[in-house]
Amino acid sequence: MSAQEQAFLEYVQGGGQVETSDWMPAEYRARLIKFIEMHGNSELMGVLPEREWILRAPTLQRKLALTAKVQDEVGHAQLIYRVVEDLGKPRAACLQDLIDGKSKFHNVFHYPTKSWGDVGVIAWLVDAAAIISQKALLKCSYAPYARIMKKICWEESFHILHGRDVILTMMNGTDEQRTLVQEALDRWWGPLMQFHGNPIAQGDDPSFSWRIKSQSNDEARQQFLDGYVPQIWELGLTVPDPKLRKDEEADRWEYSEPDWAELKHVVTGNGPRTKGRLQLRRTSRAETDWVRRALLAEAA
Amino acid sequence: MSERAQQLLEIADDELLLGWRNSEWTGIAPFLEEDVAFSSIAQNEIGHARALYELAGRDLGKTADELAFDRAPEEYRSAALVEPRFVPDWARTIARHYLYETADQIRIEALKASDDAEVAGLAAKIDREEVYHRMHAEMWLERLVGEPRVREALVELWPKALGVLGDDLRPLLRERLAALDLPEVEPVERGKHSGELAELWEKMTVVRRSVPGATW
Repeated sequence: MSAQEQAFLEYVQGGGQVETSDWMPAEYRARLIKFIEMHGNSELMGVLPEREWILRAPTLQRKLALTAKVQDEVGHAQLIYRVVEDLGKPRAACLQDLIDGKSKFHNVFHYPTKSWGDVGVIAWLVDAAAIISQKALLKCSYAPYARIMKKICWEESFHILHGRDVILTMMNGTDEQRTLVQEALDRWWGPLMQFHGNPIAQGDDPSFSWRIKSQSNDEARQQFLDGYVPQIWELGLTVPDPKLRKDEEADRWEYSEPDWAELKHVVTGNGPRTKGRLQLRRTSRAETDWVRRALLAEAA
Repeated sequence: MSERAQQLLEIADDELLLGWRNSEWTGIAPFLEEDVAFSSIAQNEIGHARALYELAGRDLGKTADELAFDRAPEEYRSAALVEPRFVPDWARTIARHYLYETADQIRIEALKASDDAEVAGLAAKIDREEVYHRMHAEMWLERLVGEPRVREALVELWPKALGVLGDDLRPLLRERLAALDLPEVEPVERGKHSGELAELWEKMTVVRRSVPGATW
Protein backbone atom coordinates (compact mmCIF):
# COMPACT_ATOMS: atom_id res chain seq x y z
CA MET A 1 0.00 0.00 0.00
CA SER A 2 1.41 3.41 -0.91
CA ALA A 3 1.90 6.09 1.71
CA GLN A 4 -1.05 8.01 0.24
CA GLU A 5 -3.29 4.94 0.50
CA GLN A 6 -2.12 4.29 4.03
CA ALA A 7 -2.90 7.85 5.03
CA PHE A 8 -6.37 7.50 3.45
CA LEU A 9 -7.02 4.27 5.34
CA GLU A 10 -6.05 5.89 8.63
CA TYR A 11 -8.20 8.87 7.83
CA VAL A 12 -11.37 6.81 7.27
CA GLN A 13 -10.62 4.52 10.20
CA GLY A 14 -10.38 7.63 12.37
CA GLY A 15 -13.94 8.54 11.34
CA GLY A 16 -13.02 10.78 8.40
CA GLN A 17 -15.51 11.11 5.54
CA VAL A 18 -14.86 11.28 1.80
CA GLU A 19 -16.67 13.27 -0.89
CA THR A 20 -17.09 12.32 -4.57
CA SER A 21 -14.44 14.74 -5.80
CA ASP A 22 -11.83 13.69 -3.19
CA TRP A 23 -8.97 11.43 -4.13
CA MET A 24 -9.60 7.80 -3.14
CA PRO A 25 -7.71 4.53 -3.62
CA ALA A 26 -8.89 2.43 -6.56
CA GLU A 27 -9.70 -0.46 -4.23
CA TYR A 28 -11.87 1.76 -2.03
CA ARG A 29 -13.78 3.00 -5.08
CA ALA A 30 -14.28 -0.54 -6.36
CA ARG A 31 -15.47 -1.77 -2.94
CA LEU A 32 -17.86 1.16 -2.65
CA ILE A 33 -19.32 0.52 -6.08
CA LYS A 34 -19.85 -3.16 -5.36
CA PHE A 35 -21.36 -2.55 -1.93
CA ILE A 36 -23.65 0.31 -2.92
CA GLU A 37 -24.68 -1.28 -6.20
CA MET A 38 -25.82 -4.39 -4.33
CA HIS A 39 -27.87 -2.16 -2.07
CA GLY A 40 -29.48 -0.51 -5.11
CA ASN A 41 -30.13 -3.89 -6.71
CA SER A 42 -31.75 -5.09 -3.50
CA GLU A 43 -34.11 -2.13 -3.35
CA LEU A 44 -35.10 -2.72 -6.95
CA MET A 45 -35.49 -6.49 -6.68
CA GLY A 46 -37.28 -6.02 -3.35
CA VAL A 47 -40.06 -4.35 -5.33
CA LEU A 48 -40.96 -7.57 -7.11
CA PRO A 49 -42.10 -9.82 -4.23
CA GLU A 50 -44.36 -7.06 -2.93
CA ARG A 51 -45.70 -5.77 -6.22
CA GLU A 52 -47.48 -9.10 -6.67
CA TRP A 53 -49.71 -8.05 -3.76
CA ILE A 54 -50.40 -4.48 -4.82
CA LEU A 55 -53.33 -5.79 -6.87
CA ARG A 56 -54.62 -7.94 -4.02
CA ALA A 57 -54.50 -5.54 -1.09
CA PRO A 58 -57.71 -6.15 0.87
CA THR A 59 -58.71 -2.58 1.80
CA LEU A 60 -58.24 0.86 0.27
CA GLN A 61 -55.99 1.89 3.14
CA ARG A 62 -53.74 -1.16 2.71
CA LYS A 63 -53.66 -0.62 -1.03
CA LEU A 64 -52.46 2.96 -0.53
CA ALA A 65 -49.88 2.00 2.09
CA LEU A 66 -48.45 -0.90 0.12
CA THR A 67 -48.28 1.06 -3.13
CA ALA A 68 -46.54 3.90 -1.30
CA LYS A 69 -44.08 1.48 0.31
CA VAL A 70 -43.15 -0.17 -2.96
CA GLN A 71 -42.85 3.26 -4.57
CA ASP A 72 -40.43 4.24 -1.81
CA GLU A 73 -38.25 1.22 -2.61
CA VAL A 74 -38.04 2.25 -6.26
CA GLY A 75 -37.19 5.77 -5.12
CA HIS A 76 -34.40 4.36 -2.95
CA ALA A 77 -33.01 2.38 -5.87
CA GLN A 78 -33.02 5.59 -7.91
CA LEU A 79 -31.13 7.52 -5.21
CA ILE A 80 -28.64 4.74 -4.57
CA TYR A 81 -27.87 4.15 -8.24
CA ARG A 82 -27.17 7.87 -8.54
CA VAL A 83 -24.46 7.51 -5.88
CA VAL A 84 -22.99 4.58 -7.83
CA GLU A 85 -23.15 6.65 -11.02
CA ASP A 86 -21.12 9.43 -9.39
CA LEU A 87 -18.49 6.83 -8.49
CA GLY A 88 -18.19 5.91 -12.15
CA LYS A 89 -20.71 3.19 -12.96
CA PRO A 90 -23.80 4.38 -14.87
CA ARG A 91 -27.29 3.18 -13.93
CA ALA A 92 -27.78 1.42 -17.25
CA ALA A 93 -24.65 -0.65 -16.59
CA CYS A 94 -25.91 -1.55 -13.10
CA LEU A 95 -29.26 -2.66 -14.53
CA GLN A 96 -27.57 -4.64 -17.27
CA ASP A 97 -25.27 -6.45 -14.81
CA LEU A 98 -28.25 -7.15 -12.59
CA ILE A 99 -30.31 -8.83 -15.30
CA ASP A 100 -27.25 -10.65 -16.62
CA GLY A 101 -26.81 -12.18 -13.15
CA LYS A 102 -23.38 -10.55 -12.78
CA SER A 103 -24.21 -8.62 -9.61
CA LYS A 104 -26.00 -9.64 -6.45
CA PHE A 105 -28.98 -8.66 -4.35
CA HIS A 106 -30.07 -9.52 -0.80
CA ASN A 107 -31.08 -13.07 0.02
CA VAL A 108 -34.62 -12.21 1.17
CA PHE A 109 -35.65 -11.03 -2.29
CA HIS A 110 -35.00 -14.42 -3.85
CA TYR A 111 -38.00 -16.03 -2.12
CA PRO A 112 -41.67 -16.26 -3.09
CA THR A 113 -44.50 -14.48 -1.26
CA LYS A 114 -47.37 -16.84 -0.62
CA SER A 115 -50.00 -14.98 1.38
CA TRP A 116 -51.01 -11.61 2.76
CA GLY A 117 -49.21 -12.77 5.91
CA ASP A 118 -45.93 -12.59 3.97
CA VAL A 119 -46.71 -9.00 3.01
CA GLY A 120 -46.94 -8.11 6.70
CA VAL A 121 -43.85 -10.07 7.71
CA ILE A 122 -41.79 -8.52 4.92
CA ALA A 123 -42.81 -4.96 5.71
CA TRP A 124 -42.33 -5.48 9.43
CA LEU A 125 -39.37 -7.82 9.89
CA VAL A 126 -37.45 -7.71 6.59
CA ASP A 127 -37.58 -3.93 6.69
CA ALA A 128 -36.59 -4.02 10.37
CA ALA A 129 -33.54 -6.15 9.57
CA ALA A 130 -32.70 -3.82 6.69
CA ILE A 131 -33.01 -0.64 8.73
CA ILE A 132 -30.48 -2.01 11.24
CA SER A 133 -27.88 -2.35 8.48
CA GLN A 134 -28.88 0.97 6.98
CA LYS A 135 -28.68 2.90 10.25
CA ALA A 136 -25.12 1.63 10.66
CA LEU A 137 -24.41 3.16 7.23
CA LEU A 138 -25.22 6.64 8.51
CA LYS A 139 -21.59 6.65 9.66
CA CYS A 140 -20.24 5.38 6.33
CA SER A 141 -16.88 6.85 5.33
CA TYR A 142 -18.34 7.78 1.95
CA ALA A 143 -20.35 10.89 2.79
CA PRO A 144 -22.80 10.98 -0.17
CA TYR A 145 -23.96 7.46 0.68
CA ALA A 146 -24.29 8.31 4.38
CA ARG A 147 -26.40 11.37 3.48
CA ILE A 148 -29.01 9.52 1.41
CA MET A 149 -29.25 6.92 4.16
CA LYS A 150 -30.97 9.53 6.35
CA LYS A 151 -33.89 9.79 3.95
CA ILE A 152 -33.97 6.04 3.39
CA CYS A 153 -34.01 5.19 7.10
CA TRP A 154 -36.74 7.73 7.68
CA GLU A 155 -38.95 6.11 5.05
CA GLU A 156 -38.14 2.56 6.12
CA SER A 157 -39.33 3.35 9.62
CA PHE A 158 -42.81 3.99 8.16
CA HIS A 159 -42.72 0.66 6.36
CA ILE A 160 -42.08 -1.08 9.66
CA LEU A 161 -45.09 0.66 11.20
CA HIS A 162 -47.23 -0.36 8.23
CA GLY A 163 -46.00 -3.96 8.46
CA ARG A 164 -46.56 -4.15 12.17
CA ASP A 165 -50.08 -2.81 11.74
CA VAL A 166 -50.86 -5.44 9.08
CA ILE A 167 -49.61 -8.17 11.43
CA LEU A 168 -51.34 -6.76 14.50
CA THR A 169 -54.66 -6.53 12.67
CA MET A 170 -54.41 -10.14 11.52
CA MET A 171 -53.34 -11.37 14.97
CA ASN A 172 -56.40 -9.64 16.42
CA GLY A 173 -58.58 -11.24 13.75
CA THR A 174 -59.69 -14.81 13.14
CA ASP A 175 -57.81 -18.09 13.70
CA GLU A 176 -57.32 -18.37 9.95
CA GLN A 177 -55.63 -14.98 9.88
CA ARG A 178 -53.37 -15.85 12.81
CA THR A 179 -52.38 -19.05 11.00
CA LEU A 180 -51.45 -17.03 7.90
CA VAL A 181 -49.11 -14.90 10.01
CA GLN A 182 -47.50 -17.85 11.81
CA GLU A 183 -46.95 -19.69 8.52
CA ALA A 184 -45.37 -16.58 7.04
CA LEU A 185 -43.06 -16.18 10.04
CA ASP A 186 -42.06 -19.85 9.74
CA ARG A 187 -41.18 -19.30 6.08
CA TRP A 188 -39.22 -16.09 6.64
CA TRP A 189 -37.34 -16.85 9.83
CA GLY A 190 -34.51 -18.76 8.17
CA PRO A 191 -33.84 -16.08 5.54
CA LEU A 192 -34.15 -13.36 8.23
CA MET A 193 -31.48 -15.02 10.36
CA GLN A 194 -29.23 -15.26 7.32
CA PHE A 195 -29.92 -11.67 6.24
CA HIS A 196 -27.04 -9.94 8.05
CA GLY A 197 -24.50 -12.45 6.75
CA ASN A 198 -22.23 -14.97 8.38
CA PRO A 199 -20.08 -13.83 11.26
CA ILE A 200 -16.76 -12.62 9.86
CA ALA A 201 -14.07 -11.19 12.11
CA GLN A 202 -14.06 -7.42 11.53
CA GLY A 203 -10.36 -7.51 10.65
CA ASP A 204 -11.14 -9.87 7.75
CA ASP A 205 -13.97 -7.78 6.38
CA PRO A 206 -12.70 -5.16 3.89
CA SER A 207 -16.03 -3.27 4.02
CA PHE A 208 -15.33 -2.76 7.70
CA SER A 209 -11.64 -1.88 7.26
CA TRP A 210 -12.56 0.89 4.81
CA ARG A 211 -15.39 1.93 7.16
CA ILE A 212 -17.99 1.49 4.48
CA LYS A 213 -19.90 -0.22 7.23
CA SER A 214 -19.26 0.22 10.92
CA GLN A 215 -20.96 -2.78 12.44
CA SER A 216 -20.21 -6.50 12.30
CA ASN A 217 -22.71 -8.95 10.86
CA ASP A 218 -23.30 -10.57 14.20
CA GLU A 219 -23.80 -7.27 16.01
CA ALA A 220 -26.51 -6.44 13.48
CA ARG A 221 -28.21 -9.80 14.03
CA GLN A 222 -28.09 -9.41 17.81
CA GLN A 223 -29.64 -5.97 17.50
CA PHE A 224 -32.41 -7.38 15.31
CA LEU A 225 -33.18 -10.17 17.78
CA ASP A 226 -33.10 -7.76 20.69
CA GLY A 227 -35.49 -5.37 19.03
CA TYR A 228 -37.97 -7.78 17.52
CA VAL A 229 -38.10 -11.18 19.23
CA PRO A 230 -39.82 -9.75 22.33
CA GLN A 231 -42.41 -8.08 20.06
CA ILE A 232 -42.95 -11.29 18.10
CA TRP A 233 -43.54 -13.20 21.32
CA GLU A 234 -45.81 -10.52 22.67
CA LEU A 235 -48.12 -10.93 19.68
CA GLY A 236 -48.50 -14.62 20.50
CA LEU A 237 -46.34 -15.89 17.64
CA THR A 238 -43.81 -18.70 17.91
CA VAL A 239 -40.31 -18.31 16.51
CA PRO A 240 -39.41 -21.56 14.73
CA ASP A 241 -36.12 -22.04 16.53
CA PRO A 242 -36.13 -24.18 19.72
CA LYS A 243 -32.68 -22.89 20.69
CA LEU A 244 -33.62 -19.24 20.61
CA ARG A 245 -33.17 -17.62 24.04
CA LYS A 246 -31.54 -14.60 25.53
CA ASP A 247 -28.54 -15.22 27.74
CA GLU A 248 -29.20 -12.29 30.05
CA GLU A 249 -25.83 -12.56 31.77
CA ALA A 250 -23.85 -12.37 28.57
CA ASP A 251 -26.49 -10.02 27.09
CA ARG A 252 -26.53 -12.09 23.93
CA TRP A 253 -29.08 -14.08 22.01
CA GLU A 254 -28.41 -17.74 21.44
CA TYR A 255 -29.87 -19.31 18.34
CA SER A 256 -29.50 -22.27 16.02
CA GLU A 257 -26.74 -21.74 13.49
CA PRO A 258 -28.33 -20.14 10.41
CA ASP A 259 -28.06 -22.16 7.22
CA TRP A 260 -25.02 -20.49 5.61
CA ALA A 261 -24.99 -22.98 2.75
CA GLU A 262 -28.53 -21.90 1.84
CA LEU A 263 -27.49 -18.24 1.99
CA LYS A 264 -24.61 -18.80 -0.38
CA HIS A 265 -26.68 -20.93 -2.72
CA VAL A 266 -29.47 -18.32 -2.83
CA VAL A 267 -27.39 -15.16 -3.33
CA THR A 268 -25.32 -16.75 -6.06
CA GLY A 269 -28.44 -16.95 -8.18
CA ASN A 270 -30.14 -20.16 -7.10
CA GLY A 271 -32.96 -18.97 -4.88
CA PRO A 272 -36.47 -20.29 -5.49
CA ARG A 273 -37.50 -17.12 -7.35
CA THR A 274 -34.14 -15.75 -8.57
CA LYS A 275 -34.50 -16.83 -12.15
CA GLY A 276 -38.18 -15.92 -12.44
CA ARG A 277 -37.63 -12.41 -11.08
CA LEU A 278 -34.58 -11.70 -13.22
CA GLN A 279 -36.54 -12.99 -16.19
CA LEU A 280 -39.36 -10.57 -15.38
CA ARG A 281 -36.80 -7.72 -15.29
CA ARG A 282 -35.35 -8.82 -18.63
CA THR A 283 -38.75 -9.19 -20.28
CA SER A 284 -40.10 -5.90 -18.99
CA ARG A 285 -36.96 -4.10 -20.11
CA ALA A 286 -37.19 -5.63 -23.56
CA GLU A 287 -40.89 -4.79 -23.83
CA THR A 288 -40.32 -1.12 -23.07
CA ASP A 289 -37.07 -0.77 -24.94
CA TRP A 290 -38.82 1.08 -27.77
CA VAL A 291 -39.83 3.81 -25.32
CA ARG A 292 -36.24 4.48 -24.26
CA ARG A 293 -35.12 4.44 -27.89
CA ALA A 294 -37.88 6.86 -28.92
CA LEU A 295 -36.84 9.28 -26.19
CA LEU A 296 -33.18 9.05 -27.10
CA ALA A 297 -34.04 9.80 -30.74
CA GLU A 298 -36.13 12.77 -29.64
CA ALA A 299 -33.31 14.10 -27.48
CA ALA A 300 -30.74 13.73 -30.29
CA MET B 1 -80.26 4.97 -5.82
CA SER B 2 -80.21 8.78 -5.98
CA GLU B 3 -78.86 10.42 -9.09
CA ARG B 4 -76.11 11.96 -6.99
CA ALA B 5 -75.01 8.61 -5.53
CA GLN B 6 -75.03 7.06 -8.97
CA GLN B 7 -72.92 9.83 -10.44
CA LEU B 8 -70.41 9.64 -7.58
CA LEU B 9 -70.15 5.87 -7.95
CA GLU B 10 -69.45 6.16 -11.67
CA ILE B 11 -66.51 8.47 -11.10
CA ALA B 12 -65.29 6.54 -8.06
CA ASP B 13 -65.32 3.26 -10.01
CA ASP B 14 -63.36 4.86 -12.86
CA GLU B 15 -60.75 6.23 -10.48
CA LEU B 16 -60.55 2.98 -8.53
CA LEU B 17 -60.04 0.73 -11.53
CA LEU B 18 -57.66 3.05 -13.33
CA GLY B 19 -55.73 3.43 -10.07
CA TRP B 20 -55.52 -0.34 -9.83
CA ARG B 21 -54.40 -0.63 -13.45
CA ASN B 22 -51.81 2.14 -13.13
CA SER B 23 -50.38 0.53 -10.01
CA GLU B 24 -49.49 -2.50 -12.15
CA TRP B 25 -46.58 -0.49 -13.56
CA THR B 26 -44.95 -0.19 -10.14
CA GLY B 27 -41.57 -1.83 -10.48
CA ILE B 28 -41.55 -2.49 -14.22
CA ALA B 29 -42.03 0.86 -16.00
CA PRO B 30 -39.60 1.94 -18.77
CA PHE B 31 -37.74 4.21 -16.33
CA LEU B 32 -37.40 4.16 -12.54
CA GLU B 33 -38.77 7.71 -12.63
CA GLU B 34 -41.94 6.39 -14.28
CA ASP B 35 -42.34 3.63 -11.69
CA VAL B 36 -42.44 6.39 -9.14
CA ALA B 37 -44.69 8.67 -11.21
CA PHE B 38 -47.28 6.03 -12.11
CA SER B 39 -47.31 4.76 -8.56
CA SER B 40 -47.98 8.29 -7.34
CA ILE B 41 -50.77 8.79 -9.84
CA ALA B 42 -52.29 5.45 -8.84
CA GLN B 43 -52.26 6.47 -5.18
CA ASN B 44 -53.95 9.77 -5.97
CA GLU B 45 -56.63 8.03 -8.02
CA ILE B 46 -57.35 5.53 -5.29
CA GLY B 47 -57.44 8.36 -2.77
CA HIS B 48 -60.00 10.14 -4.97
CA ALA B 49 -62.03 6.94 -5.30
CA ARG B 50 -62.06 6.61 -1.52
CA ALA B 51 -63.28 10.18 -1.00
CA LEU B 52 -66.00 9.73 -3.64
CA TYR B 53 -67.11 6.39 -2.18
CA GLU B 54 -67.28 7.96 1.27
CA LEU B 55 -69.61 10.65 0.00
CA ALA B 56 -71.74 8.18 -1.97
CA GLY B 57 -71.63 5.77 0.97
CA ARG B 58 -73.31 8.30 3.25
CA ASP B 59 -76.36 8.18 0.98
CA LEU B 60 -76.16 4.43 0.53
CA GLY B 61 -75.35 3.35 4.09
CA LYS B 62 -72.06 1.68 3.06
CA THR B 63 -68.39 2.21 3.82
CA ALA B 64 -65.86 3.10 1.13
CA ASP B 65 -64.28 -0.36 1.38
CA GLU B 66 -67.64 -2.07 1.00
CA LEU B 67 -68.37 -0.09 -2.14
CA ALA B 68 -64.89 -0.61 -3.56
CA PHE B 69 -64.64 -4.36 -2.96
CA ASP B 70 -67.91 -5.99 -1.96
CA ARG B 71 -70.06 -5.43 -5.03
CA ALA B 72 -70.30 -8.03 -7.77
CA PRO B 73 -68.34 -7.14 -10.95
CA GLU B 74 -71.52 -6.48 -12.92
CA GLU B 75 -72.57 -3.85 -10.36
CA TYR B 76 -69.59 -1.60 -11.07
CA ARG B 77 -70.48 1.51 -13.04
CA SER B 78 -67.03 1.99 -14.57
CA ALA B 79 -66.31 3.10 -18.13
CA ALA B 80 -64.88 0.59 -20.62
CA LEU B 81 -61.73 2.72 -20.94
CA VAL B 82 -60.42 2.01 -17.46
CA GLU B 83 -60.94 -1.75 -17.36
CA PRO B 84 -58.36 -3.40 -19.66
CA ARG B 85 -54.95 -4.51 -18.50
CA PHE B 86 -52.29 -2.79 -20.63
CA VAL B 87 -49.06 -3.78 -18.89
CA PRO B 88 -46.51 -4.13 -20.56
CA ASP B 89 -47.88 -1.97 -23.42
CA TRP B 90 -46.65 1.59 -22.77
CA ALA B 91 -48.26 2.94 -25.95
CA ARG B 92 -51.79 1.99 -24.89
CA THR B 93 -51.01 3.05 -21.32
CA ILE B 94 -50.02 6.55 -22.41
CA ALA B 95 -52.93 6.82 -24.86
CA ARG B 96 -55.40 5.87 -22.12
CA HIS B 97 -53.69 8.13 -19.60
CA TYR B 98 -54.00 11.11 -21.93
CA LEU B 99 -57.57 10.39 -23.07
CA TYR B 100 -58.77 9.71 -19.54
CA GLU B 101 -57.17 12.76 -17.98
CA THR B 102 -58.63 14.98 -20.70
CA ALA B 103 -62.12 13.53 -20.25
CA ASP B 104 -61.80 13.61 -16.47
CA GLN B 105 -60.89 17.27 -16.55
CA ILE B 106 -64.13 18.05 -18.37
CA ARG B 107 -66.11 16.00 -15.88
CA ILE B 108 -64.42 17.58 -12.86
CA GLU B 109 -65.00 21.09 -14.24
CA ALA B 110 -68.70 20.32 -14.54
CA LEU B 111 -68.80 18.96 -10.99
CA LYS B 112 -67.01 22.02 -9.62
CA ALA B 113 -69.89 24.08 -10.97
CA SER B 114 -72.46 21.83 -9.27
CA ASP B 115 -75.19 23.32 -7.02
CA ASP B 116 -74.41 20.58 -4.52
CA ALA B 117 -71.79 22.18 -2.26
CA GLU B 118 -70.37 18.85 -1.07
CA VAL B 119 -69.89 17.55 -4.59
CA ALA B 120 -68.44 20.84 -5.82
CA GLY B 121 -66.06 21.00 -2.86
CA LEU B 122 -64.79 17.47 -3.37
CA ALA B 123 -64.37 18.07 -7.12
CA ALA B 124 -62.23 21.15 -6.41
CA LYS B 125 -60.07 19.14 -4.04
CA ILE B 126 -59.60 16.34 -6.55
CA ASP B 127 -58.81 18.79 -9.32
CA ARG B 128 -55.80 20.13 -7.42
CA GLU B 129 -54.07 16.77 -7.84
CA GLU B 130 -55.40 16.02 -11.29
CA VAL B 131 -53.53 19.05 -12.64
CA TYR B 132 -50.29 17.12 -12.17
CA HIS B 133 -51.67 14.00 -13.83
CA ARG B 134 -52.61 16.07 -16.85
CA MET B 135 -49.15 17.62 -17.05
CA HIS B 136 -47.63 14.16 -16.90
CA ALA B 137 -49.98 12.78 -19.55
CA GLU B 138 -49.42 15.74 -21.87
CA MET B 139 -45.66 15.48 -21.55
CA TRP B 140 -45.72 11.81 -22.50
CA LEU B 141 -48.15 12.22 -25.37
CA GLU B 142 -46.09 15.03 -26.80
CA ARG B 143 -42.99 12.87 -26.69
CA LEU B 144 -44.56 9.79 -28.27
CA VAL B 145 -47.32 11.11 -30.51
CA GLY B 146 -45.15 10.50 -33.58
CA GLU B 147 -44.95 6.77 -32.81
CA PRO B 148 -47.41 4.84 -35.00
CA ARG B 149 -48.33 2.50 -32.15
CA VAL B 150 -49.37 5.43 -29.97
CA ARG B 151 -51.52 6.82 -32.78
CA GLU B 152 -53.13 3.39 -33.24
CA ALA B 153 -53.81 3.16 -29.52
CA LEU B 154 -55.47 6.60 -29.50
CA VAL B 155 -57.76 5.60 -32.37
CA GLU B 156 -58.55 2.25 -30.78
CA LEU B 157 -59.41 3.74 -27.38
CA TRP B 158 -61.27 6.79 -28.65
CA PRO B 159 -64.81 5.25 -28.52
CA LYS B 160 -64.17 4.12 -24.97
CA ALA B 161 -62.83 7.55 -24.00
CA LEU B 162 -66.06 9.17 -25.21
CA GLY B 163 -67.91 6.72 -22.98
CA VAL B 164 -66.27 8.18 -19.88
CA LEU B 165 -68.54 11.22 -20.26
CA GLY B 166 -72.28 11.61 -20.48
CA ASP B 167 -73.92 12.67 -23.73
CA ASP B 168 -73.91 16.33 -22.72
CA LEU B 169 -70.15 16.59 -22.20
CA ARG B 170 -68.93 14.58 -25.20
CA PRO B 171 -68.87 17.52 -27.63
CA LEU B 172 -66.39 19.21 -25.30
CA LEU B 173 -64.06 16.22 -25.45
CA ARG B 174 -64.26 16.14 -29.26
CA GLU B 175 -63.44 19.82 -29.29
CA ARG B 176 -60.47 19.57 -26.94
CA LEU B 177 -58.96 16.71 -28.86
CA ALA B 178 -59.65 18.18 -32.30
CA ALA B 179 -55.95 18.54 -33.00
CA LEU B 180 -55.54 14.77 -32.83
CA ASP B 181 -57.97 14.40 -35.74
CA LEU B 182 -59.69 11.32 -34.32
CA PRO B 183 -62.44 9.61 -36.38
CA GLU B 184 -66.21 10.01 -35.94
CA VAL B 185 -67.24 7.02 -33.83
CA GLU B 186 -70.04 5.65 -31.68
CA PRO B 187 -69.12 5.89 -27.97
CA VAL B 188 -68.87 2.70 -25.93
CA GLU B 189 -71.40 3.26 -23.16
CA ARG B 190 -70.52 2.89 -19.50
CA GLY B 191 -71.52 -0.28 -17.68
CA LYS B 192 -70.93 -2.67 -20.59
CA HIS B 193 -68.18 -4.70 -18.98
CA SER B 194 -65.45 -6.70 -20.60
CA GLY B 195 -64.15 -9.96 -19.14
CA GLU B 196 -61.13 -8.02 -17.95
CA LEU B 197 -63.12 -6.35 -15.19
CA ALA B 198 -64.16 -9.73 -13.78
CA GLU B 199 -60.55 -10.89 -13.90
CA LEU B 200 -59.32 -7.78 -12.11
CA TRP B 201 -62.11 -8.08 -9.54
CA GLU B 202 -61.12 -11.68 -8.78
CA LYS B 203 -57.62 -10.53 -8.05
CA MET B 204 -58.39 -7.37 -6.12
CA THR B 205 -60.81 -9.15 -3.80
CA VAL B 206 -58.99 -12.48 -3.41
CA VAL B 207 -57.45 -11.74 0.00
CA ARG B 208 -60.56 -9.98 1.23
CA ARG B 209 -62.82 -12.89 0.24
CA SER B 210 -60.45 -15.51 1.68
CA VAL B 211 -61.68 -14.88 5.23
CA PRO B 212 -65.18 -13.43 4.90
CA GLY B 213 -66.06 -10.69 7.32
CA ALA B 214 -62.52 -10.38 8.66
CA THR B 215 -60.75 -7.09 9.36
CA TRP B 216 -57.55 -6.58 7.36
